[in-house]
Amino acid sequence: MEKQKGVILNIGPVHPATHGVLKLIADLEGDTIDNIKVEIGFLHRGKEKMAEMRYFSNYYPIVDKLDYVSALQMEILFASVVEKAAGIEIPPRAVYIRTIMAEIQRIMSHLVFVGSFGMDVGNYTGFIWAFREREELMTVVEAISGGRLAPMYICNGGTFYDLPENFSYMLSPVLDRIEKKVKNEYATLFQKNNVFIMRSKSVGIIDKQLVKQLGITGPNMRAAGIERDIRRIDPYLAYEEMEFEVPTEEDGDAYSRFLIRIREIIESIKIIRQAMKKLPAGSYKKPVPWLLKIPAKYTLVRHEVSKGEMAMHMVTDGGMMPYRLKIRSPTFFSLKALEKVLVGSRIADIVAVIASIDPVMGEVDR
Amino acid sequence: MLSYAYAVLSRWLPYPLNLIGALIALLVASLAIVAVIPIIIGWVDRKYGARIQSRWGPTYVGPFGLLQNVADLIKLLGKRVITTNVDILSYTFVPIALTAAAFLMILIIPWGGPNLSIVNIPYNLLFIYVAMAVSPLLILLAGWSENNKYAIIGGFRGATQIATYELALIVTILSVTILSGSYNINDIVAGQSSVWYVVYLPLAFILFITAGYAVVERDPFDIPEATQELLAGWKVEYSGLRYGLFLLSDYVKIFMLSMLVVYLFLGGWNGPLLPAFVWFWIKTIVTMMILLTPRWVYPRVRIDQLVKFGWNWMLPLAIINLLAVGMVVFV
Repeated sequence: MEKQKGVILNIGPVHPATHGVLKLIADLEGDTIDNIKVEIGFLHRGKEKMAEMRYFSNYYPIVDKLDYVSALQMEILFASVVEKAAGIEIPPRAVYIRTIMAEIQRIMSHLVFVGSFGMDVGNYTGFIWAFREREELMTVVEAISGGRLAPMYICNGGTFYDLPENFSYMLSPVLDRIEKKVKNEYATLFQKNNVFIMRSKSVGIIDKQLVKQLGITGPNMRAAGIERDIRRIDPYLAYEEMEFEVPTEEDGDAYSRFLIRIREIIESIKIIRQAMKKLPAGSYKKPVPWLLKIPAKYTLVRHEVSKGEMAMHMVTDGGMMPYRLKIRSPTFFSLKALEKVLVGSRIADIVAVIASIDPVMGEVDR
Repeated sequence: MLSYAYAVLSRWLPYPLNLIGALIALLVASLAIVAVIPIIIGWVDRKYGARIQSRWGPTYVGPFGLLQNVADLIKLLGKRVITTNVDILSYTFVPIALTAAAFLMILIIPWGGPNLSIVNIPYNLLFIYVAMAVSPLLILLAGWSENNKYAIIGGFRGATQIATYELALIVTILSVTILSGSYNINDIVAGQSSVWYVVYLPLAFILFITAGYAVVERDPFDIPEATQELLAGWKVEYSGLRYGLFLLSDYVKIFMLSMLVVYLFLGGWNGPLLPAFVWFWIKTIVTMMILLTPRWVYPRVRIDQLVKFGWNWMLPLAIINLLAVGMVVFV
């Protein structure tokens, strides 16, 4: 038997820092990581297969649980696939409502990131503060859709309900507050905090080459200095008419991944304000039969969700259910980077790096 | 306090009984302090942290949630200990020894007045330091006894961290003792009747607080028990009363640290107008609130950064400080 050098440490799947059920198997030499393996699949529920047994209108509740931190974006993505396949044009008001909801969801998801990153490097206050801001948006989403985490708001042909009458009075002050807090309070707690910078700077560097090698997308890619955003290069919904920046950072470490998210929150707030100003009147929904029949074809739609580039490829055979639905999840590719970047770092860095790539196991395991 | 109780009881009781009676009185007094302090400080800590985080903290049990910690302790008492594969002897020994060390400090330290301590001994500062210094061995033992990888990593981290910082701590304490010429807290406080030592030793003041923070394992230096990385580090297999003892001793330690800061640097019970006792408690409470703050503001430091900082900066600075004080005093 080969003599074992160090210690093998199993981190997860039940561990507070693994954001669900990620499992890491680390070979330790003292406090340093020699080798690390990522194990996924603990939340596998066969969601792609489930799609083959559901009507096009009945798959939404399952789509909600893909990336449960940004459920609305999942719903919008699936609705877009179905509508593209069936050739349904949705009314402009629905397009704008969806844009607003997608950006609200992006802010909420990034706030969860900020909170959990703060928590994982040991700052409990950041967690509570971020969730305090998220709660205000949650209340808005609840008032609009009736749901909080899994809202079930989007349906084929538009949305289930129109926006409430006092919508802008409800949302605008919340956005103002969040902008103020992100710019001032969070800057004090994170960007101006020496210990936070010490913990996150030059830790877990995912450089351009690794990004291209593994197909990492979203904020993790933009933190490495690649400017690429589906909202910009292949605009969907109403993003063509919006003015916004695509923030990039150069270093590719945990700290720049954090900064990207903070800056994206500000950009999302900008987009929501523009969309609220331009919100057209009219119908919020095009009447579509509940049981759709879609002719045989391949449909691919990709969206920039909060974690990166998410795509759904649907194969239909003329029936009332998809023949096959393939989901490309962004975090699945980012997690592979852990095996490369964590070698040689410390145990304490594991949690910081996991938190900085913002995994949600629901979409990884599907 | 022991001699006082002994003298009072000797008026009515013959020899063996008066000593026993004095010891019982001592036990009751120290137990009252032991029980009340962690509960009060625990409440202050939770409430203060909650307000920083814009929460309310405990509100439900008792007035203003004051009894929340009592409820928590009662809950801990009722818990079963579920462990497998632990070395039961050392596993049980560590919480008892660690808590005893923490509570020894309560017996020795003066409570806000000259000679107002439960047991009066001449070298009380040294004794308190020794009671603090046993913890790395015990932490390592706890980590070892639990047969758990997280626990042993936490144990080694704890031993490394505390051994590093205790050295800086004792060197800093030495600079104070050189200046005052005594290991007795009463004399040190008497030496500050005109000028507080923080004026003479500002560097030592900062070093003492930082090193003390690392020694009592308070956030952001709670690396050995890092909840997010090591679950609870060397405490991972502990539950029930044994875990409750750790909680108690943690709060006692942070309280002792703030008392020591007041005694060594902030003039102890010296102050104009108000009585000595009041001055001492005002200073201690203010110091403690300041010491409680970093936990809610700073993230946790990494162990290699902390140890590097300890050996590269803390210890050299402490030694330079000591040399400077020695030169000024003796030359």
